[in-house]
Amino acid sequence: MLLANLAMEATGPVCFRNQPVPQELVLELLNHAVWAPNDGLREPWRFIFVDHRNADRMVGLQEPAPAYLIVVMKEEADRYKREEDFAAVSCLMQNLELLAPEKGLGIRRTLNEWRYDRQRAGTFGVLGNEWIAGVLELGYAEQVPGRPAADSRPELRFELL
Amino acid sequence: MSLAELIRERRSIRKFNSTPVAEELVVELLQTAVQLLPSSAGVPWRCVYAGTPESRKRLADYMLQTVSHSRLGKLIPDKMLEVFKKRFMDIPAHVVVLAGTGPDPLASERNYAAVCSILQNFQLLGWERGLGMLWDTEAMIQNEGLFQGIGMRADERFVGILHVGYYNKAPRGRKRTPAEKKWTVFQG
Repeated sequence: MLLANLAMEATGPVCFRNQPVPQELVLELLNHAVWAPNDGLREPWRFIFVDHRNADRMVGLQEPAPAYLIVVMKEEADRYKREEDFAAVSCLMQNLELLAPEKGLGIRRTLNEWRYDRQRAGTFGVLGNEWIAGVLELGYAEQVPGRPAADSRPELRFELL
Repeated sequence: MSLAELIRERRSIRKFNSTPVAEELVVELLQTAVQLLPSSAGVPWRCVYAGTPESRKRLADYMLQTVSHSRLGKLIPDKMLEVFKKRFMDIPAHVVVLAGTGPDPLASERNYAAVCSILQNFQLLGWERGLGMLWDTEAMIQNEGLFQGIGMRADERFVGILHVGYYNKAPRGRKRTPAEKKWTVFQG
């Protein structure tokens, strides 16, 4: 299927079925997603999977979901590398979001205030030299009546130099 | 080609051929790239496009004026700067991408991540149409000359310059570390 056609498909809000997400499925998708462009092949990402047995630990931090994937990146001292790494990890998460619907998986990508709470992040195993780049709320997607794709093209600020 | 194949087979392209790139195609792909990000509504960002020989030359001049006046730049032989400039100007199209910063650091990070995600969509959509790209974030090009030349504002953040063109040969991919090796299951 052409990626360009995917844009024409209806997208609704992601709702989750109350059903565990197997880690094998997430790993399978991640092994495609890691082909994101990343400078110097630093592969600056690491993954912490919080499955249904521990999903309650996210109460107050995240919306309820059957599973969570905390995507962390190593913090480079160099400011340019830091930005490149955040860009690379963002591309990886985007890859994952593109792939997920084929497997019936829904993803809500979040970046919440608690990424700055080092102690809280630490309880999930985020190290002192790492930052949370995104927390993905995961679950099998409930069939949501799709809304038709917008007729109008999205606004794009495109200026000529 | 499946989506997984598209993601795995896309390469960063450093060597372009001289086939011109249609501005309309770039706009179309950028619009589709935005549509592919469900949370893209309201994300502040913009693109500055250099797709004509004149605008490419201007962009190269902006970038190089600071470089050639810097202490480090003075050590670079003029000849090398000329080669750099020519290579840059020979690339059919450049898209300079800026993200809005937002009211606080968290909002800025969110915007930046959203714009990066749009650019990944853009690269994949381009690949589907035979277009190659290089997302350039080289520290050397991120200088005042460039920022002033393109009119970057204080509430904007530089995301990169995407060099865009058709290519004759895609480089081989470099193997990725299996996700299993970067994987931890939280044990509570």
